[in-house]
Amino acid sequence: MSGVTGPAAANSSMNRRALAALFVRLGAFAAIGIILLYFAIYARGFTSSYNLQNVVEQSVILTMLAYGMTVVFIGTGTDVQQGGVDLSVAANAGLAGAVFVTLLNLGLPEPLAILAAIFSGMAMGLLNGIAVVLFRIIPLLATLAVMNIATGLELTITGNNVVGASSEFLTMLQFGRFLGISALAWVLIVFTIFVTILVHYSPFGVRLYAVGGFPEAARAAGLNVGFNIYFSYIFSGLCAGIAAVLIVSRLSASTLGTGLHLLPVLAAALLGTVFSRRFVPTIGGTLIASLFVGFLANGFQLLGISSYWVSGVQGALILLVVALTSFAKPAEGG
Amino acid sequence: MSDVAIDMRGISKQFGPVKALDNVDLQVRKGSIHGLVGANGAGKSTIIKVLAGIYKHDSGNVCVGDKTLDVIAPASIEKDGVHFIHQDRLLVPTATVAEAVFLNNEPRRGFLLDIKRMRKEASDLIKKHFNLDIDANALIRDLSAAQQKIVQITRALACNARVLVLDEPTAALVAAEVSSLFRVLRALRDENIAIIFISHYMQEIMEICDDVTILRNGRNAGNVVASDSSIEEIVSLMVNRDTSEMYPRREARIDEPVLELKDASRTGHFEGVNLTLHKGEVLGLTGLLGSGDKQLLKCIFGLDQPDSGTIALNGGAVKFKAPGEAVDAGIAMIPEDRRAHGVAVDLSVSDNISIASTARHAIRGFVNKIFEAKLVDGLIEELGVKTPDRFLPVKNLSGGNQQKVVVAKWLSCDSSVYLLDDPTVAVDVGAKVEIYNLMNRLAGEGKAILFVSSDLEETVEMCDRILVIYRGKIVGEYKRGEINSDRLLAVASGGAPSGLREVS
Repeated sequence: MSGVTGPAAANSSMNRRALAALFVRLGAFAAIGIILLYFAIYARGFTSSYNLQNVVEQSVILTMLAYGMTVVFIGTGTDVQQGGVDLSVAANAGLAGAVFVTLLNLGLPEPLAILAAIFSGMAMGLLNGIAVVLFRIIPLLATLAVMNIATGLELTITGNNVVGASSEFLTMLQFGRFLGISALAWVLIVFTIFVTILVHYSPFGVRLYAVGGFPEAARAAGLNVGFNIYFSYIFSGLCAGIAAVLIVSRLSASTLGTGLHLLPVLAAALLGTVFSRRFVPTIGGTLIASLFVGFLANGFQLLGISSYWVSGVQGALILLVVALTSFAKPAEGG
Repeated sequence: MSDVAIDMRGISKQFGPVKALDNVDLQVRKGSIHGLVGANGAGKSTIIKVLAGIYKHDSGNVCVGDKTLDVIAPASIEKDGVHFIHQDRLLVPTATVAEAVFLNNEPRRGFLLDIKRMRKEASDLIKKHFNLDIDANALIRDLSAAQQKIVQITRALACNARVLVLDEPTAALVAAEVSSLFRVLRALRDENIAIIFISHYMQEIMEICDDVTILRNGRNAGNVVASDSSIEEIVSLMVNRDTSEMYPRREARIDEPVLELKDASRTGHFEGVNLTLHKGEVLGLTGLLGSGDKQLLKCIFGLDQPDSGTIALNGGAVKFKAPGEAVDAGIAMIPEDRRAHGVAVDLSVSDNISIASTARHAIRGFVNKIFEAKLVDGLIEELGVKTPDRFLPVKNLSGGNQQKVVVAKWLSCDSSVYLLDDPTVAVDVGAKVEIYNLMNRLAGEGKAILFVSSDLEETVEMCDRILVIYRGKIVGEYKRGEINSDRLLAVASGGAPSGLREVS
């Protein structure tokens, strides 16, 4: 069977590829390490426990949203440029927050209001799914349109105002601690475990990756491609709904501008792909990347660099990551 | 109960006016390798797609084992034990070998994936059936073509496949890989698995198959036992005999050489190709899908560059880096997929015809509208393009007329060499005849035509000389009348019929 074990040429090109991939991965870790080290030395108070906790708490919301984006990447196309993306995830969280606060202020019991927020997020996810699967609109456009719908609804519901809200549960989320870890962080930990099992340790996860990786192959294996795409977008909506409750608890209000989270969320989910052997989105990679994006914004703040720079840097990060991973990826289908 | 694994009877399938399958039977015994052969468009892939549930048959019965399937769905056919190994390796490139083998059939422990067992069983299966060590953790995209084929087959075995359908399984494999694949297939046959083997390569059919079903024009043309038959017999059953008088004749006046290829090679596509095309000549180039004929055209037209060898035009060596340079040198290309490459469907007939020659007739950089109108109207009349006026968008024309627009475009440039890539694919018979007339007219005017066609009959009837390409090499050269379509098919399929005149 010597013919099947692969000619030497294939092996050497495979090695070169593996080497390039390793280089990118190590380079990413090194770059993050150097940047964090720089902040630790030059940014006053960066390493204080108060600051570190603060960044992690700030990053909880970003990470939740980035998980939604990650699942969409996994299930609708791990090739970010041609596959799926959920541009609506942040605006969706804004809408869910507005729904939550408005219902709470109308006197609805809190658990119902929370369910309604999550339901609103999932409904927008369903809308994304319908646009992409049923109407075959390219995800970039479909989710952009849904993003505008979500923002429009949010403005309508809140009348372009900050709507305050308070409850024991929200206070508990904001200030509660257990075993020295804040409630927000607990939410993230529990949810991370849940998503990790779903995506990386269940048969369902394998299929989700297959659908995103090569829809034709998944279909040939008898998988329902449409179902998995619907699932991805609805799951992203679920993440937006949960993130909305966390946002309200942190700010004690529903505020406009949640949609501005989109850029850091996109940057985090894309950067996360660098940490995987296959250059695909993973939960662990997204977690690392989200925390890094959080620390980046924080470090800039502490160094006294204008916050205007932050979004520019995040944009540059997106370009860099997408360019880098498409270089390191082999030309597929050959 | 019975020893029949697949029993398809009286299957018919109509697409619009075209009868793709007309009352076709296909019976496959358990523990046998069953060849399915036919020329392009004979209905091989249609009947396989019916079995896969991709097409719904209009009438007929499908039984798998003892079970009659009333409705076949792509998602459920695997549960009935029928697995398809598609020609293009349908595997997720970023998946590991273990994941690909067990996709949609993952071993679990409770709700969770049993990753350890999945890896171990994938390795064990590959070891057991193929006596190979492939790392279960390796990524699909890092495997060779043959290894990927093996992963596909292993997946079917992991699902307890009783029937394997292999569509052109050897197309991407080298000879050593083909023989190891055959060893595996024979071992599977001995485990009482039924295998349907679809291939264009007649020698492979004779070597591996027990029974062969031959389709022609959507009908059964015969069933033979491979050991009692011959390549010639099978080929003669495949080829359409009722040739109507649709090929116009022409007195060939062949002049001096205009295009010469010497020892041209492009790795993975063709090698050591020598070819001379003369003025006034229609030179046919034919081969099976993927034999390198189309790639050769691309290299001549500058869409690709040969790795070695030379191309000479009118005696002078040329190296086209882009199609634009080939056009300027007088080469015209009529591509197969005319909607993708030949015409701009939303533009008018006039724009399409003048698009390549506008610059030549421009006056100080401005489009010469009056000249253009004259030129276009003249060509429309000359070629008989059926259009109310020159302003009609090309998408409103029939396929044959669209093809004429493509030809008119090149005539307006005064091209001297015409590369025709399957110009009669997907046009009706009437349009075909018009295209043939057009070819004869061009040749009569002293143009040189390189005619690539997968339709063997038209190749035999239309060409002054025919070159046969097989797996990237020219394997035969025939003058008009020296070969019929039966023998041409046998040569193109890699069979070595008597009387083959090898190219020195």
